[in-house]
Amino acid sequence: MMNEKKIILQVEKLTKRYGDKEVLKDASFSIREGELKILIGPSGGGKSTLLQCINFLVKPNAGRVFLDGREVLYSRKRDLYNYRQKVGMIFQDFNLFDHLTALGNVEIALVRVKKMSRDEARVRASAELDRVGLGDHVEKYPAQLSGGQKQRVSIARALAMDPEVMLLDEPTSALDPELISEVLAVIRDLRSNGMTMIMSTHQISFAGEMADEILFMENGIIVEAGPPKKLFAQAECQRTREFFMKIAEIYGESR
Amino acid sequence: MEELFFLQNEVAPALWKGLLVSCRLIVPSALFGLVIGVFVGVLRVFGNPFVSALANTYVALFRGFPLVVQLFIWYFGLPHIGIYFSPYGASVIAFSLCSGAYHSEYVRGALLSIKKGQMLAAQALGFSKIQMIWSVVLPQAFRRALPGCGNEIVYLIKYSSLAYMITCIELTGQGKIIASETFKYTEIFMIVGAVYLVLTSLAAWGLHHLESRFRLPGFQHYGL
Repeated sequence: MMNEKKIILQVEKLTKRYGDKEVLKDASFSIREGELKILIGPSGGGKSTLLQCINFLVKPNAGRVFLDGREVLYSRKRDLYNYRQKVGMIFQDFNLFDHLTALGNVEIALVRVKKMSRDEARVRASAELDRVGLGDHVEKYPAQLSGGQKQRVSIARALAMDPEVMLLDEPTSALDPELISEVLAVIRDLRSNGMTMIMSTHQISFAGEMADEILFMENGIIVEAGPPKKLFAQAECQRTREFFMKIAEIYGESR
Repeated sequence: MEELFFLQNEVAPALWKGLLVSCRLIVPSALFGLVIGVFVGVLRVFGNPFVSALANTYVALFRGFPLVVQLFIWYFGLPHIGIYFSPYGASVIAFSLCSGAYHSEYVRGALLSIKKGQMLAAQALGFSKIQMIWSVVLPQAFRRALPGCGNEIVYLIKYSSLAYMITCIELTGQGKIIASETFKYTEIFMIVGAVYLVLTSLAAWGLHHLESRFRLPGFQHYGL
């Protein structure tokens, strides 16, 4: 059944080097409409670099990215800006615009990038903030919001652009344990509404429950990929097994 | 009684005339200086290596040459290569360019204080570099630069007094003329000094209000 959905995003042999150090090596995978792929692996393993290379916030040294079957020609600025509008990005430390209210944060790209009228943008932005449960906080500035609320504003900001795919770079890693669940709930909600997402996280139980596929990354390489059940129970690679075992110890899970 | 008449009939009208010239020097120079400063500051931080080197050279030159020397060059030097300015024009140009160099330093500092993550977020949303600078970076940098830029404007008010060196007779120039006619140097220059004090106080008061007006949660200064 899944195979009938079309491929939204395809990544082919992305490579990134800093000097002699290869932080991302020949990363390839593709994601179909409505899928959630989760990147798991030790810190510094290249998850963030992979995500940032996908929307060219970090320029890869080699490799190609295809959206809806068309190669993204990122050296053409217009093409790059248009492509980025279709790829939502969520950062570990939220990166809200400090000088704008929650509403302003969601509104600004609609006005400046999508060239919507102020009124139209306001309506859309309010709707998105409602959707992530922040309808009562629209006039607050980032400094007045909790971490979980900030991350939900940043999700609303990305959603307002009507992205075809979203990249989530450890969206809960900077949050207090209590606030993690409110953000995960929003992501769960997106998933059930059919949003295509690639997410890196250390939330192993969330990954096990929600992911269509888990990609285990280490030293800049996608070591192994597969559905959560298979990876947790019978990973082919020794290193993958070790990693999941250690994680299971820490979080006290057998999954 | 005689003193009072002298003050009222001779000193006050002359200084008033000078004050008006001073204001006509200060206001446009402050505005042009600020615009140049923001522009150059942005080029220094976000420009390509060539543009940023060019902007740095401008700052080095105009911050490094004494202002009087700059005034002399604009007014006495350039006519030799066929470029003529009025005393007033030469003064405004010199003040704006000098002030701009200093402003750019405050603006640069403020730009560097903006967290990189916000710029990544803007780019991820599809902002072009110019849109990002204009709608995300500058509104924040402006708030951070305001105290420093205010300081520069207060300086400008005082160094506008150098304009009389190239015969643009403003407040200090008028003071000098009456003082040499009457030999009442102390009295006259005390008055002139007090007028500058009033101007700088007004500017400080205005800038303080501007700061409060633009204050936002997350940008206020906590009294620790």
